[in-house]
Amino acid sequence: MYQFDWEVFWQYLNPFTALQNPLIRDGLIVTIVVSILAQLLGVILGLFAALGKTSRFMPLKFLDTAFGEALSGKRLAYELLESVAGFAPLKLVADVYVWYFRGTPLLVQMMLLFFGLGVTHIFDFPDIVIGSIVIKGAIQAGFLALGINEGAYMAEIVRAGIEAIDTGQMEAAKSLGMTYGTAMRRIVLPQAAKVIIPPLGNEFNNMMKTTSLMSVISAADLFFGFTQVNARLFQPFEIFIAASLYYLTLTTIWDFFQRMIESSLGERKATDQPVGFFQRVLGTAPQVRAGGH
Amino acid sequence: MAFDHRPHAAEIVPEETVVQFEHVHKYFGRLHVLNDINLRVCKNEVLVVIGPSGSGKSTLLRSINHLEKINSGRLLVNGHLIGYREVNGKLLEAPEKEIAAQRMNVGMVFQRFNLFPHLTALENIIEAPLVVRHTPRDQAIAEGEHLLERVGLSDKRDSYPNKLSGGQQQRIAIARALAMKPLLMLFDEPTSALDPEMIGEVLEVMKELAGEMTMIVVSHEMGFSRAAADRIIFMDEGRIIEDTTPDELYSNPREERTKAFLSKILH
Repeated sequence: MYQFDWEVFWQYLNPFTALQNPLIRDGLIVTIVVSILAQLLGVILGLFAALGKTSRFMPLKFLDTAFGEALSGKRLAYELLESVAGFAPLKLVADVYVWYFRGTPLLVQMMLLFFGLGVTHIFDFPDIVIGSIVIKGAIQAGFLALGINEGAYMAEIVRAGIEAIDTGQMEAAKSLGMTYGTAMRRIVLPQAAKVIIPPLGNEFNNMMKTTSLMSVISAADLFFGFTQVNARLFQPFEIFIAASLYYLTLTTIWDFFQRMIESSLGERKATDQPVGFFQRVLGTAPQVRAGGH
Repeated sequence: MAFDHRPHAAEIVPEETVVQFEHVHKYFGRLHVLNDINLRVCKNEVLVVIGPSGSGKSTLLRSINHLEKINSGRLLVNGHLIGYREVNGKLLEAPEKEIAAQRMNVGMVFQRFNLFPHLTALENIIEAPLVVRHTPRDQAIAEGEHLLERVGLSDKRDSYPNKLSGGQQQRIAIARALAMKPLLMLFDEPTSALDPEMIGEVLEVMKELAGEMTMIVVSHEMGFSRAAADRIIFMDEGRIIEDTTPDELYSNPREERTKAFLSKILH
């Protein structure tokens, strides 16, 4: 019968003792900072990809007007012209980006980015030194892979948010003399944000756990710290339970923030029941719907 | 021309054309929504457009600020081609910025109001003056408050659209369009989405406006047409079937199609 080693378990669960180990302390910092930055990069890339996906920018559209009449009798030629004139380069770039990064494993993307670019010397990921802090190449590659991959998922979320907004909003903004860009920035995106923020919270929850994949390219994140400890002690049951509880703590703290943000987005209805502590923690509290329009 | 039903109205200036359609055609796929439209609207004229659903009346209105693209013909607002440039006799769509600049002069009121729900009544009104015209904030607010007073909603200055009734929302939408100081106002079925008791308050605002500026109104409100319109056109299957005065059209329609349509809407 397996003898559970409570002493080791407690040593690596209790932050006061566990964080004395620099591998775990620095790993925790790396996990938090990389999660936030990669999510930020993902949101930015996702925003641009979503704008690209919804873009109707067709630089060859003039061909339609120029040759449409002449070819209107010839069906095949006309259809060819239509498809050439309808070429939307921004949409194409965005579609390919989302297609590739959602359609291939993050782990493969990370390996490709770090080892692939390294071995070809396209980019070697040299360490970045800022004062006394050294940011290892593996961490940079991990951050980039996580952010670029996240951008592909955020693109779909932002696009859904934009498409949830009534087209009348864009028409009204245009009728007041706003360009597409101004209308997007001032009218559509502020409303889409309400739709985007709840799934964005889930994405960040996911991100904090997915950073653990970085350890396969030897980026010294939280999980890497625990694997190193385990390599020395070989007590995987105790150590990985402790590790899992660190991640659980991070995601639970984030859940609090997410609920705060979401409830500040919509007005509370007077009929809402007060929400207790455990309801909040366990997520069984009635959801407050964002105010409609 | 007699406009005795509009005693205080600004004089129509027949020599000043605000909107001109010349042989305008528009297709949705195979559907010929606008079929050889020729129409001239003068300064300070109030034109009402009626017709069965699918007759092209909304498309006609929406093409005036290029929310719908036309396929052929020429459409001019204040003497300038709208949405297009003429190059070697061909129409090429104008750059976006140019279209946006043209739209500043054409106010539009929608059937479903389309107020910006994340902005208060006043913010809705001053948004475009601030970001499009770059009006100084103080001036925009002062003008916005004046417009709120004009549509009788000064007390709703800081309310969000979801706290306003349909009639109030539409009055704010009218004020929002007016804030850009347009040459011309377009109304696309402005009272069709309203509860009956709220139609009057919106029509009241529109009637007052009718004395002051050029308006094109798609609406089946006979009361409004008779009280405020100088001219009315009846459209069917993408064509203008009748073009006359409201009194004439309602009491003495010439065409069979007009008679059939009127008998349906007048019960």
